[in-house]
Amino acid sequence: MPDNISFTIDGQEVTGKPGQTVLQAAMDSGLYIPYLCYFPKMKPYGACRACVVQTEMGERKSIVASCTTPIAPGLVVDSKTEQVTDLRRGIIELLMAEHPHGCLTCHRVELCGPQDICQRHVSVTDRCTICPKNERCELKDTVRSVELDLRTPLNYHRRNLPIHTDDPFYDRDYNLCIVCARCVRVCEEVRFDNAITLTNRSGVALVGTSRGESLLESGCEFCGACIDVCPTGALVERDYKWEKAARQVTTICTNCPVGCQMVAEVNRFNKVVRFIGDLAGESNNGQACWKGKFAYDYPNHKSRLKYPYVREGGILKRVTWEQALDRIAAGFGDRDGSKVAVIASPRGSNEDNYVAQKFARSVLKTDNVDTALNLTPRVASTLQKRFGSAGSTNPIWDLEGSKCVMVVSGNPTEEQNVLAVPLKKAARAGAHVIVIDPRETELTRYASDWIRPKPGTEHILLVGMARTIIDEALEHKEYVSSRCSGIDELKRSLWKFDLSAVSRVTGVEDTIIREVARNFAKKAPASILFGVDTVPVDLHGALTDAILNLSLITGNVGVKSGGVFPLYAGANTLGSLDAGCSPMAERGTDLTVEPGLNGATPPPMRDGVADLFAGMRSGEIEAAIVMADGMNPGAGPLGDAASALRSLDFLVVSAVFDDEVTAAADVVLPASTYTEQTGTLTNLERRVQLIRTAWTPRNEERSGWQTFASLARRMEAEGFDFQDSGGVFEELASVVPGYAGLSHDRLEAGGIQTPCPSSDSPGAAMLHAEEPDDDAGRLAIVPLPFIGAAAPSSDLVLAPGRVLSQPDKPVQVTRRGDMNYLHRVEVVKVHEEDAKAMSLMEGDAVEALDDHGSRLAVGVASLGSPQPGLISVTTLFAEVALGMHDADSPDPSPRIPGLPLQPVRLVKAADLAAYAVSSD
Amino acid sequence: MATTKAELGDSIRERVRCALKQQPQPTVTVLSSLLAVQDAIHYLPDEAIEETAGFCKASVNEVWSVASFYTNFRFTPPGAHVIEVCWGPSCHLAGAQGVLAAVQQELNLFREGETDDRRATLRYNTCLGACALAPVISIDHHLKGRITAGDAKDLAGGLLVD
Ligand code: SF4
Ligand code: SF4
Ligand code: SF4
Ligand code: SF4
Ligand code: FES
Ligand code: FES
Repeated sequence: MPDNISFTIDGQEVTGKPGQTVLQAAMDSGLYIPYLCYFPKMKPYGACRACVVQTEMGERKSIVASCTTPIAPGLVVDSKTEQVTDLRRGIIELLMAEHPHGCLTCHRVELCGPQDICQRHVSVTDRCTICPKNERCELKDTVRSVELDLRTPLNYHRRNLPIHTDDPFYDRDYNLCIVCARCVRVCEEVRFDNAITLTNRSGVALVGTSRGESLLESGCEFCGACIDVCPTGALVERDYKWEKAARQVTTICTNCPVGCQMVAEVNRFNKVVRFIGDLAGESNNGQACWKGKFAYDYPNHKSRLKYPYVREGGILKRVTWEQALDRIAAGFGDRDGSKVAVIASPRGSNEDNYVAQKFARSVLKTDNVDTALNLTPRVASTLQKRFGSAGSTNPIWDLEGSKCVMVVSGNPTEEQNVLAVPLKKAARAGAHVIVIDPRETELTRYASDWIRPKPGTEHILLVGMARTIIDEALEHKEYVSSRCSGIDELKRSLWKFDLSAVSRVTGVEDTIIREVARNFAKKAPASILFGVDTVPVDLHGALTDAILNLSLITGNVGVKSGGVFPLYAGANTLGSLDAGCSPMAERGTDLTVEPGLNGATPPPMRDGVADLFAGMRSGEIEAAIVMADGMNPGAGPLGDAASALRSLDFLVVSAVFDDEVTAAADVVLPASTYTEQTGTLTNLERRVQLIRTAWTPRNEERSGWQTFASLARRMEAEGFDFQDSGGVFEELASVVPGYAGLSHDRLEAGGIQTPCPSSDSPGAAMLHAEEPDDDAGRLAIVPLPFIGAAAPSSDLVLAPGRVLSQPDKPVQVTRRGDMNYLHRVEVVKVHEEDAKAMSLMEGDAVEALDDHGSRLAVGVASLGSPQPGLISVTTLFAEVALGMHDADSPDPSPRIPGLPLQPVRLVKAADLAAYAVSSD
Repeated sequence: MATTKAELGDSIRERVRCALKQQPQPTVTVLSSLLAVQDAIHYLPDEAIEETAGFCKASVNEVWSVASFYTNFRFTPPGAHVIEVCWGPSCHLAGAQGVLAAVQQELNLFREGETDDRRATLRYNTCLGACALAPVISIDHHLKGRITAGDAKDLAGGLLVD
């Protein structure tokens, strides 16, 4: 590390890091130099010149932009000389000529309260009081710090542009734009979407999209990054547009396992009115996604459940908590442990999950406890067994530096969005991106190699790659010999994976498999992101094993910018597993049901939440407690969960809203949301982070742990007298390996990655960073059998894909009533053989129907599917954004459809014209 | 009819693709691609923006950013003939104002643009590079120097009938 650099600003001694600019060093030392186009974590741009300073180096004096001038030892910076302040004023005055500034230059602005709209002094179009950014406007603060000379009034030229209100989620009023290009730069430099751009030039240069089209067509992912950086009212969230924040609460987004740290703005009526990506968040570096940014406000909803209800004579009656608990205690009575289940919320905190499983195990005497989105237990258990944690080996932002990124059967840009941000950055910097997926997703656009194996043969393809690597001696021999075990067994097992056999089974040419294997082996460090979207459930373990092997033999585990990242579905999947909230928690640990409890041997453990629902359908499970917050009861990944729950004899539901699940319940309990509780979540990179209470529950809502603890006390169980969630965490930390060094107090300062064994441990950014001391510490490479995919349940499989933009297909956005609609004819790609069998012609109208005859896709047939049996349709991401925007459901985020493969029938549609309109 | 419109779109797309592919120079950029398309079909239709984006692996917005920056790119088809009137300093001193007024009157135009029958496009130019011959106009890129208002009017009128 080169030494820090000392220099002076306005006579004050300042030290900065090498490579910093004057402005950055000033900000770090708490000195203020006005600036407008600069924004932390983006490249300096030097456009606005608001940051001018005078620098002096030896004899040389110059006036420069402080945001682009690197610091140097002995540099003398002056930001307050008369020349500089004059210049700065001139610059701001020019800017003000195109920005309403009546209020900014008004002599009584300090007296002017928010509601106190003056009638005469400033014209209507010229007032900050009618701007949505009023009172949280960065431009205003900057301009006022410059102290304009107000003796001569400035002119204001209003651009008279229409306000864009047609897009989902946010409004654009370019009358207020100061063309700082922060939004354009964040979209290009940080998000890599290039959905907005600078248009025209000189006096009429402005921000916009190609030909002024809507964001729905321009490739926008609605991440909201541009809104968060905009210093003016030009870009603002539409919901709660005019609401002022009374206070800010730092919290964590509970919509996916990235766990973005967000600043929640809460108004004086205790409503959360905005979610802003927190620049201090280590998992997200200030970024967020459409779900985090715009699906946060369900806690505000009027229709929330407020009180407990008990069903009597078919009708839910309001009761007290005590009465509800009595009813639950009676309902469970002494049912056998094998006949009951506890389903925790995928958004539940570690505290909720810990108490849920403690209740299940010590009160109900069952291991039937899981979260509703723990859909890939074999992925987690394989990782846990082999790498000691079900989380990723490396931190998320390590991906920035990867030279090769392989994405297998997952769609992170949509489902774990911010994880894809550093990935795209690596791709732009030249990293080799390999996508193994039959679907077209946004990342396939970045892929150097896009491999489309037959669904369910991904693991065989990966072992085929391992075979090539070993055959061509491309494995990292030194790493393998010093850190791994089992390489010989692997080599022996690989003889079955003859590449011609692999090629036959996967449908991928052997030359291509070799090529990809070489690319992956040669470009280090390489990381792997993997989901199981296209993989049948019985192969989840095999896929995970194949991936870990590949990462180990190429020497990528425990290496910066290498490693593996599992793409889980639930926001707190990892935390719930850590807290033991899974039937698969290891037997004999503190967390599981002791053999001999109840005087009987415990029933065999069930295989994850899907199996628990199967047990309900088959009648083996008769009674359950379900935390329904964040669960999709409809045709989500659990199948028709609501109907399984309806078949129960006794059902308790803790929920935020009434829905199909509460309709089936015998007892309904009101649940609190993330705004009403303090607790921790563990994200996919093992970072334990704190969600903080924004307000205390308005009515009788209780959090998950409170619900279970009060029920346990009612059922006369011991060990449930927790004071608060900090107390729950204390107990959790004493039981769960890897959490021992953590406490709520410690986490106040920021998230910490597990394992964190002691209170002085900083946590573990990376797993297996050290070479093992002994053979026991070696990472095992495991031999794999050549297991094929189960026979497909139907002849044809639909692979739905989603991309941000498809410039080659005409899209039309029209407005009907208050809403936008996308019009477009979809292309359904069919393989030639299948088309021949059905006597389909290119251009025929077809529809893909599922088992129940519901239409999953419709469009014109095109003969271009890579695999016989595979049908693909690629839709625009914008349709999902519209869908979420227009959803009736107060909490749309759990219902956003993923992209799983589905068995389908293909039929010719009579007339395509009838289907040309879509996306409502 | 929808079909003919689609076909037309396709043929424009084809022509755009051809122009993009046939660029002779070794370095192909967004700018060079847009120039090639405009040379081939005299304007940049929506398809050109989309195809150029695909061809240069850029987003449509990036391409638009370049295209909208240069005033020489046009986004609607030009008229059958282009008449440019120079209003640069030399021509201005030599009476360009009268020439311009005469042409505008003849074409029934008040600013740059196309005549209603799309037979002629009027453009202003800030210097046609032939100041010694001021005032200068150009018709379909052929310069006419020492022009008088009357001659200019006749030439402009001729464009509407030939
Ligand atoms: S953006 Fe809005 S609040 Fe800020 S200075 Fe402009 S008008 Fe005033
Ligand atoms: S919301 Fe859209 S335009 Fe704004 S930064 Fe994100 S992708 Fe770009
Ligand atoms: S919209 Fe906002 S961020 Fe973008 S250029 Fe204008 S003022 Fe700057
Ligand atoms: S990436 Fe995940 S955690 Fe981050 S804002 Fe989006 S949904 Fe929330
Ligand atoms: S902040 Fe330095 S030029 Fe804009
Ligand atoms: S000014 Fe008219 S040709 Fe130069």
